[in-house]
Amino acid sequence: MSVSDDIRRWSDELARSPASMVFLPLGEALRTRGQIDVALRVALRGLERHPYDADAHDLLARIYVDRGETERALDEWDAALRCTPGHAGALKGMGFVCFNQGRVVDAERYLAEAAAASPEDDGLGMALLRVREQIANANRTPPSANAAGANSAAPAPEPESEPAAASAPTPVTNGNGHGATNGNGAATNDVRAESAFAEGDAHFGDPRLLFADLIGVADQAALLLDEDGLVMAGQYVVSDGMDVGAEVGAALSGISDEARRAMRHLPLGDWRTIIFETPAATVVMTPAPQDGLVLVAAAPEVPSGLVRRALESVSQRAKRWMEQLS
Amino acid sequence: MSSSSPFIPSLEHLTRQRGVLGSLVVSETDGIVIDAVVQPSVKAPVVAALAASLYRRARQSAHAAGLGGVRYLELVADGGRLCMAGRDDLVVVLVTDTRVGVGLLRVELLRTAAELPE
Repeated sequence: MSVSDDIRRWSDELARSPASMVFLPLGEALRTRGQIDVALRVALRGLERHPYDADAHDLLARIYVDRGETERALDEWDAALRCTPGHAGALKGMGFVCFNQGRVVDAERYLAEAAAASPEDDGLGMALLRVREQIANANRTPPSANAAGANSAAPAPEPESEPAAASAPTPVTNGNGHGATNGNGAATNDVRAESAFAEGDAHFGDPRLLFADLIGVADQAALLLDEDGLVMAGQYVVSDGMDVGAEVGAALSGISDEARRAMRHLPLGDWRTIIFETPAATVVMTPAPQDGLVLVAAAPEVPSGLVRRALESVSQRAKRWMEQLS
Repeated sequence: MSSSSPFIPSLEHLTRQRGVLGSLVVSETDGIVIDAVVQPSVKAPVVAALAASLYRRARQSAHAAGLGGVRYLELVADGGRLCMAGRDDLVVVLVTDTRVGVGLLRVELLRTAAELPE
């Protein structure tokens, strides 16, 4: 059954039973297909009926991230944690946002809690490993640099990845004494002020993590390549922890040239997507602005339909990010 | 094309699928048509040359990226798709319009490619 069929079926079910929880998979499917506004309406309507459902707040938060409204997303994750303390999705989302803001200590804490709550999520383990590596690297730098970089908003050289992960405080709610809960006063406002500064700086977080929250499943990678096959954003981390994005990007970018050439001679119009499967990976790619290329790779065991859907989300974010850059 | 070709039954089966405009077996190395069952609108030699070139490039690129050999390749365009699956030097190519059910087609294509002679 295709995703479109699922969406139709869930929509019908929701029409028949407006109180149904089917708005959760429906909203998520719409979100990953890039129908963000429709997903938002579905999620908001669902929340009206289920205001204390943590998964509903989590869904809305991820939609807000896609819309570039990070502060609202953090508010929703905050609400999710109020409804269900230790909600893995909320902790994970907050961890990624913190990391994108350069607040690696906060990120480490959230991701560690998320990993503890969801030990089967290999992607979380990988993300946690990278955050801890970054903290270790920061600790090896001189104390003055470390103080600036380890836990304050936006260590300067780290441009914020996309509007999604751009602004906003960390409305911590899980009682660990770090940060502040929404609306709790000075600490929250301070963090928001720092975030606003980072956002106003017209930069984005670590470009390597631009797609981190979209590629949440283990064994997936996403890259944005420029017209020369150079990596602009994203990373391709293999099992030993190495980022081979540059090598993979350079090698694969030539395929799009070949596709473009082929399309000039075939009456099929412009190419939109290339998918290929190898023993090591399923790779999907699509054109990006300015003759760039977006690609998503996943381990062969990841369902190919899921990889294709991930490409849509990654592509949209890449476009928004490039628009912000330019 | 000779009706006695061992590829014809498989190609005819593929071409009967909804949305399929033609199916071909091509040589990846030189891009020539080994066999084909295509609608009149499909220029088999042109498709064969371009598909083989694209498949070859994808295989080389994937190999350079350390991903191994390509077993399935799909190019989605505004007006249709090229779907390919290869074995050794032979590549089965499908030309489709936009109505195609790609999930089923992918399975059929991989099955056909697996049955190609080594």
